[in-house]
Amino acid sequence: MAAAFIEPPYKQPPNKPVLYIKPRACLMGDSAIIPIPPDLEQIEVAATLGLLIGRDAHRIPQDSALAYICGICLALDASEPCDSFYRPPVRQRCRDGFLRLGRLAPFNAKVMNNPIETFADDRKVHSWSTERLLRDAATLIADISVFMTLAAGDLLLVGLAYDAPRSRPGCRIIARCGNLPGLSVSLQVESVA
Amino acid sequence: MKRARIAYRGAVVWAQLNESGTALRLPSGEVVSPEEVQWLAPVTPGATIFALGLNYADHRKELGFYSQDPPLIFLKGPNSLVGHLGETIRPADAHQMHPECELVAIVGKPARRIQAEDALDYVGGYTIACDYAIREYLENYFRPNLAVKNRDATTPLGPWVVDATDIVDPQRLSILTTVSGQMVQEGSTADMILDIAHLIAYLSETMTLLPGDMILTGTPQGLHFCAVGDEVVCEIEGIGRLVNRLVAETKT
Repeated sequence: MAAAFIEPPYKQPPNKPVLYIKPRACLMGDSAIIPIPPDLEQIEVAATLGLLIGRDAHRIPQDSALAYICGICLALDASEPCDSFYRPPVRQRCRDGFLRLGRLAPFNAKVMNNPIETFADDRKVHSWSTERLLRDAATLIADISVFMTLAAGDLLLVGLAYDAPRSRPGCRIIARCGNLPGLSVSLQVESVA
Repeated sequence: MKRARIAYRGAVVWAQLNESGTALRLPSGEVVSPEEVQWLAPVTPGATIFALGLNYADHRKELGFYSQDPPLIFLKGPNSLVGHLGETIRPADAHQMHPECELVAIVGKPARRIQAEDALDYVGGYTIACDYAIREYLENYFRPNLAVKNRDATTPLGPWVVDATDIVDPQRLSILTTVSGQMVQEGSTADMILDIAHLIAYLSETMTLLPGDMILTGTPQGLHFCAVGDEVVCEIEGIGRLVNRLVAETKT
């Protein structure tokens, strides 16, 4: 993809972290279900880790950043497949029920060394490691908190694999990472009243 | 009715303004003068903050965008807000920092899959935002990126919320910005490309809008780069005047 990032509309690779905000509506509904719009054949479900911020972080240097994280959980970030990174992906990524979270565990940086695995109907379909991240957790907090406060209670997803698997309605998705509480959801066609 | 979120003697409360705006009634019944309170951004904690880019035809043309792409929507976090008479930092290298006066619609009841013709029933109130942008910080990834639009205290909001029932037609309000006395934006909410009703219909197709959620509906033309010390006033007919001052970064 690197070649595409020097072409329009991007023109040059990003300097800052590429971020988007998931609104509270993404947590709505039955937490064991991701509702799929009837017109979508498949959706992308990216397994990642959520870091719970424990105290307000503003302009925090990298070497003390991990002290601002108090919890960690698995997350499944759902989106309508989309190849463009140009505009904020609100329509594609911010639907009701498009974020599912595992149970929180106390933060332990070592857990991030485990592969983040995704199973679809009990078959492993994806595995990635935080070694792939351009910025590790401490660097992320340093590079974000330089321009905005990460507030206690905020949840920071560490990154999404661009090759995250796509699945169809009816599929059961399980995410695992080391000994973190697992996360299991089923994809169901949204009922339109 | 106008309701303000204020800090007074250590408590954060919603207070009701009298007709002339010269007094605030606290929930306890006590009446205080505006000089005695701190104006906070009138936001319900936890609310989702939607913002529109390029939603006025004149502003879109001014920035060189002509296509009829889908609505440009981005989200902001609560860190970005600051109340009336507050201060916003103008970073030393932000030579292209400009104010954007916007009408804000505040959702009054849960809304999902609402038709445009019914949508205004779901608006509980209106306020004003000044959605500063810093053009030097734009990057072409999820543009406008958070470093432009989600910096701490770069979105003055307020001074208060006006009940929706007090605004006869939200699409017929004059909207203007002055910077240290000079008029830099002057438009009408009639020129929105997607009006409030259609924005609610569009957003509620995919998301449940919840009470307190806010939609910053975009800004008319008028690009004026500000300096430290500028007093920036955003004014919308029937709602009020939102005042903000630009200050320098504190060297650490």
